Amino acid sequence: MQLPDGLVAVVKRDCPTCVLVEPVLRGLGAAVWCQDDPGWFAGDDTSLELSWRLRVETVPTLLRVEGGAETARVVGWSRPQWEELSGVSGLGAGLPEHRPGCGSLSVDPDRVDALEARFGDGLASRRVELADREDEHEAAFARGWTDGLPVVPPTPERVLAMLRGTSRDPGEVVAVVPPDLVPCTVEKVAVNAVLAGCRPEHLPVVLAAVEAACADEFALHGLLATTYFSGPVVVVNGRITRRIGMNSGVNALGQGNRANATIGRALQLVVRNVGGGRPGEVDRATLGNPGKYTFCFAEREEGSPFAPLAADRGVPGDAVTVFAGAGVQPVVDQLSRDPGSLARTFAACLRSVAHPKLVLAFDALLVVSPEHGRVFRGAGWDRARLVAELEQLLTLPVGELVRGAGGMAEGMPAGSGADELPKFRPGGLLVAHAGGDAGLFSAVIGGWVSGTSGSAPVTREVRT
Amino acid sequence: MRTVLDPTGERAPASRQLRPRPDGLAGRTVGLLDISKARGDVVLDRLAELLEREGARVLRFRKPTFARPAPVDLRQEIAERCEVVIEALAD
Amino acid sequence: MHDIADLEARGVVGVFLASEAFAEAARVQGESLGFPAPVVLVPHPVQDRTDEELRAVAEAVAPAVVAAVTGPA
Repeated sequence: MQLPDGLVAVVKRDCPTCVLVEPVLRGLGAAVWCQDDPGWFAGDDTSLELSWRLRVETVPTLLRVEGGAETARVVGWSRPQWEELSGVSGLGAGLPEHRPGCGSLSVDPDRVDALEARFGDGLASRRVELADREDEHEAAFARGWTDGLPVVPPTPERVLAMLRGTSRDPGEVVAVVPPDLVPCTVEKVAVNAVLAGCRPEHLPVVLAAVEAACADEFALHGLLATTYFSGPVVVVNGRITRRIGMNSGVNALGQGNRANATIGRALQLVVRNVGGGRPGEVDRATLGNPGKYTFCFAEREEGSPFAPLAADRGVPGDAVTVFAGAGVQPVVDQLSRDPGSLARTFAACLRSVAHPKLVLAFDALLVVSPEHGRVFRGAGWDRARLVAELEQLLTLPVGELVRGAGGMAEGMPAGSGADELPKFRPGGLLVAHAGGDAGLFSAVIGGWVSGTSGSAPVTREVRT
Repeated sequence: MRTVLDPTGERAPASRQLRPRPDGLAGRTVGLLDISKARGDVVLDRLAELLEREGARVLRFRKPTFARPAPVDLRQEIAERCEVVIEALAD
Repeated sequence: MHDIADLEARGVVGVFLASEAFAEAARVQGESLGFPAPVVLVPHPVQDRTDEELRAVAEAVAPAVVAAVTGPA
């Protein structure tokens, strides 16, 4: 829009200062646009486009325009400033010297996202116009954008609001997402975070999870394509978990917490939509597991016998750890009161990950509950001590593992030359702390194929 | 007009696409879905003969009323038994 | 048109046969569903024609019907 040369003003009839200066503006013959009443002055800015483009924050705003460009601006009413800008003296006889203005509608928090979406051109994603009678939720299903549950339609307004959750540039490439190896920008992650139902403050965690899951060593392509059950499990550490309302307590691995549910879902939707990893296509899982909708929880750092998981893995503070998890297997021990006994229970249950006779093939994530954790804390066992103990207990005699032993064809091939083999590769057993105060239960989350042919857990810092 | 942003990697068109068409109808199972409007069946009878001449196997279906979408069971049956469906005849 | 949209989503190749009087309605409905549903038109009206005339109609549109469900989409 070309501004007329001379004096230009933006006003709002709802603003007493604007009403006060009405005779002044008319006397000056300024070109005036009004934000809330198209009939008040000649200019109608009820669309707020002019206000948005001029970055008007306060009304009245008075501009001097020369050659179509703004050369001076004052906001609110100030006789000396208006006189200086207009070059006219004796303005506003009977008015006070100064009167502050009011907030411009174009910076109203309820409108600013819509205005930016409408008049800004900051978003790079392809715009999809829905047909008049097309249901917006059905449209997302029809285009294959959902995991089977309804999604929040990713309107430009919602995506802009989501992007306020991070200071990162919307165009920054976060990761190259398998299986199609598509470079994924902050903006694309935000679009999928909207779909998933995230709040803007969840976005930094989603970004970190996407980054971690797309790291080479996580082997996301293989994880997707496998017939095995697994999908990414996201464990979040740091103060951010409390700030954004994540659940690390009662029902930590279950339903009902928006942050946990939508962050894990957003990661899966990025894989589906950006990477192209869809079940029945690249995803060949025989059975899958319900955690492939979403599987994300916060570690319960308060009262934990262990240092934060991410800190122990070299990333202190706000961080995510992704693990290729296959589902939750309960561990019940309501009687052990000393750490040695409880560790034996854990070892017995961990041995059955995938198959009690298969070793060195699958990782595991052990989630220790507070009541079990208290046993270790009381005895002064930290994570390293517990893991060392479990590794010792899970060093298994080859005679029990070989094919055919125990009347089961499945097992390790004979002739390894070793007498004993460890259940887990070094670094293949992770331990976290989560859950409600009551319950002498813990959980084993079995992993996927580990090591060079499979997936290794990855920890990444959460950046805001 | 409502606008949403494409959440995908944008490697494929965002509009709904038709299914890929087969090369020909020979050996294909074709369903003729009669929407129950008067005299439509006469056209469908003749169409069935012509399609069979093309080598298609023709199955006939009829929905209870033209005024509403076909019942889900009928749509499921058609989807299970047919590769192609021709719905007729709105007049 | 809803039927064809649903059946295409279920994996069935579909076409809708309508008289010319429905041409605009079919086009609008397809557009409003955001789905480019294929339609083959027959001359209007249908209900007061003789059997012989209707068989001729079927013969006239048969090539268009076959074309709509075969070849490149």
